[in-house]
Amino acid sequence: MQLLLEAIGFGIATGAVIALGAVGFSVQFGISNILNITYGSLMTLAAYIGLLLIDHGVNAWAALVLGAMAVGAVSVIYHRALLAPLVRRGTRAIAMVIVTVSAGIILQYVIVAIAGPESHSYGEQSGQTLHLLGLTLSAGQVAIIGLTAALMLGLHLLLTRTTLGKAMRATSSNRTLARSCGIATDRVSDIAWFISGSLCGAAGVALAITTVSFDFSLGSLFLIPMIAAAVLGGVGQPYGAMLGGLVVGVSSEVAAAVSNPNYKDVAAFAILIIMLLVRPRGLFGAAWSSRRLMEG
Amino acid sequence: MAWEYYVVVMLVYLGTDLLAVWGLNLEFGVSGVANLAYIVVVAAGAYTFAVCTLGPSSGNGGFQQYIGGFTLPFPLALLAGAGAGAVVGTVIGVTGLKRLRQDYQGVAMLVVSLMVVTVVGADTGLLNGSAGLALIPNPFADLDPEVARWAYVAVVAVCCLIGFMVLRRFTTGPLGRTLRAMRDDDTAASASGKNVVGLRLLVQAVGGAFGGLSGALLAGFIGGWSPSAWAYIETLAFLSCVIVGGRGSDRGVSLGTLIIAVLLLQGVQFLPQIASSPGLSEDFGWIILGTATIAFIWFRPQGVLPERRPKYLGRASSKSAG
Repeated sequence: MQLLLEAIGFGIATGAVIALGAVGFSVQFGISNILNITYGSLMTLAAYIGLLLIDHGVNAWAALVLGAMAVGAVSVIYHRALLAPLVRRGTRAIAMVIVTVSAGIILQYVIVAIAGPESHSYGEQSGQTLHLLGLTLSAGQVAIIGLTAALMLGLHLLLTRTTLGKAMRATSSNRTLARSCGIATDRVSDIAWFISGSLCGAAGVALAITTVSFDFSLGSLFLIPMIAAAVLGGVGQPYGAMLGGLVVGVSSEVAAAVSNPNYKDVAAFAILIIMLLVRPRGLFGAAWSSRRLMEG
Repeated sequence: MAWEYYVVVMLVYLGTDLLAVWGLNLEFGVSGVANLAYIVVVAAGAYTFAVCTLGPSSGNGGFQQYIGGFTLPFPLALLAGAGAGAVVGTVIGVTGLKRLRQDYQGVAMLVVSLMVVTVVGADTGLLNGSAGLALIPNPFADLDPEVARWAYVAVVAVCCLIGFMVLRRFTTGPLGRTLRAMRDDDTAASASGKNVVGLRLLVQAVGGAFGGLSGALLAGFIGGWSPSAWAYIETLAFLSCVIVGGRGSDRGVSLGTLIIAVLLLQGVQFLPQIASSPGLSEDFGWIILGTATIAFIWFRPQGVLPERRPKYLGRASSKSAG
């Protein structure tokens, strides 16, 4: 029982990081209709930016904010310079995936060439352990859960209470119609890529804070639970991705606790395959998103 | 002699790459199945070849654990590798049957690829985990080493020759036209009475057999196989051969394989060797590969030797690839 409770506590912490990543991934897909696999490598980039800052004496949480901002900016440039022009040239969706996979590999190996293939660590960041409702969590994990909750609430308020959020949702559901209504869709899409890129960066640094050590494969390994969470919630659905992150996080940690720790990702994978075969639009996928995901 | 060994290695790699690229082109280029998990069928072939030739796992002091363990003759082990590729390819193909968007399917397959390598690497009882299998016996171990190397090149050449003849049965003629029709518009193809599901699975099986044969030949030559040899990015290497050469065109992708192989094996040789980071040239190899893929999708999506579109009287075909 104690083991299970510990696993659930860990799962919530992992789920918070997964949710950060999955929501960003979903927002990007929603706004631009591109499945951006470079996302994983951008998380790795954020982790290394964080490492650089921490090595220069910056506080870990300040490094998280700065890393998030930097990756947000990189995401906007990446979309503007490479992805958007390719879409305008009429590149097919599958070719876009190949482009983002290639760009992810380029980024990953640029990071290896600069930072080397060895593992790195932020050092001890987690602080003392806390006991809440029978769950055992480190202070760092609690802070990340709190941060995720705050960011998700902020994103919710942005999407529902502000003009910008309404413009983002309008652009996401019908770009042409949104433009006809006078929404500057290019600017809205820049902002969406900055927000989602920042979430990606925050997830990358948060992941590096919570793991013991990491190397250049950090982001590509994290792609499995993140895509699983996004698909579970319905790709393009930020709220679904939040819940998806939590479900995938808890179920992988529980699966690792009751069976072999090596099979941690298998739970995420099983969720993904079942969802793809049974309900590809995700639990919360609306009719429009299912239309977008199915051919024809 | 050193250069002779180098030539042998180049030829074997080129031959095995050709087989894999043909299989992937049949799936992706000709039939439109975005199989980003292709390297898994290559691995299935390589592992099957290994367990079919290594003998019982108690051999060699029992230092590696794996299931099965037979001592089949070389040709049978190659066939077993191809067969395993076909089976695994069909299983992967089932996930692609749902009528999802093609990019969504591609990402699902990418995750399949990431996942299978994680599971095989984690489970030491299955195929010796992340250490992989070693000491796979060379089929020509009894011969003089120099003769044995060239004998292996000859085997690879024969496999390529037979492979190409089989490949043409699928990419040309009525079947080839049907597959291309399915790629371009599967609704129209099934409305004309074509069994799209059956054709997709057939293509996955045949493409898988090509990948499996390629993996088996490679494992027999290297003498070992481990999860690091089939990370998901390896699929990108084959994909870039298809994209650079010209998707859908057998001659095109063969040329693409040659270009990529020369670019990667030769191009990085010109880079200065930096003693402190010996892996740097491999890193640059991947960077070059990714850049070439993106550059071709941007500037020349149809590839160096584009697929020749059939011309019908009275109506010019103007649909562009990419």
